[in-house]
Amino acid sequence: MLSHRLQPPRCLSGACTIAFACALSLAGALGPSVAAAPRTKPGSAQTHTVTIEGMRFNPQTLVVRRGDRVMWINKDLFPHTATAASKAFDSRSIAPNTSWTYVARKPGDYDYTCTFHPTMKGKLTVR
Amino acid sequence: MNKIWPIWAAILSAAVTVGWAQGAMPTDPQIAAIVVTANQVDIDAGRLAKSKAHSKEVKEFAQRMITDHTGVNKSATELVQKLHVTPESNATSESLKKGGEQNLAALRNLSGSAFDKAYIDHEVAYHQSVLDAVDKDLIPNAQNAELKALLVKVRPAFMAHLEHAKQIQSSLGKSG
Repeated sequence: MLSHRLQPPRCLSGACTIAFACALSLAGALGPSVAAAPRTKPGSAQTHTVTIEGMRFNPQTLVVRRGDRVMWINKDLFPHTATAASKAFDSRSIAPNTSWTYVARKPGDYDYTCTFHPTMKGKLTVR
Repeated sequence: MNKIWPIWAAILSAAVTVGWAQGAMPTDPQIAAIVVTANQVDIDAGRLAKSKAHSKEVKEFAQRMITDHTGVNKSATELVQKLHVTPESNATSESLKKGGEQNLAALRNLSGSAFDKAYIDHEVAYHQSVLDAVDKDLIPNAQNAELKALLVKVRPAFMAHLEHAKQIQSSLGKSG
């Protein structure tokens, strides 16, 4: 399966555009090869975006390479979390229109939820 | 529990079935008042439950209702100010307000697990009725695109709250 590439968040608001611009500059700081073919050398890490909106993680499942960054952007009107069932990662409260970034260092399948809203489910796979 | 149940059932029924005037077409200022009132009623119930609830799960749910509905109301208030819409109270918003006050009055007489059950039962019924109104009355009648978009945006929160409340209702049923 191909890993996800950096994609613009699916939303239209200015705040989100700013967040995306930050994502781009963050990715840029990691080196110019972000959009190039995936490599395993240090410095080739990609940044993936999960948009939290309408009480959903989008995309709901995400496959990344070890060392990649995953940024959760909260586009809802109240806080959420991205918390692995195993507690491998836990964003704690992500305020509206802010984001939290996790560096995925350890391979595995991670089911995660929002601890505030247990009906929300997502899955992160680190290859 | 048996003694309070008939009273509670009457309150619940009054709060949930009165109000949505069938066939009426609410205007945007009326929709704004309904949205703000619906959120405020649940914030007020959440504040009482946060202080009186017995179980940790119910306390946490109450805090979530306060936080989430406050967030929605902040956006709703900002939007109506931007659109220069003055919320206009109406039969539905008044009924919600009255139902909310009756709910608080009934809850104040309860404690322990009886309080938890009554609060959560009402939250299930309340979110279901608000969701029905959002779908049948508010979204279809909203004229302003941004007001309609806000309703569409917050709908999943009402849905998730309903499911969350049902989960707690089920676990309280098992433990109590």
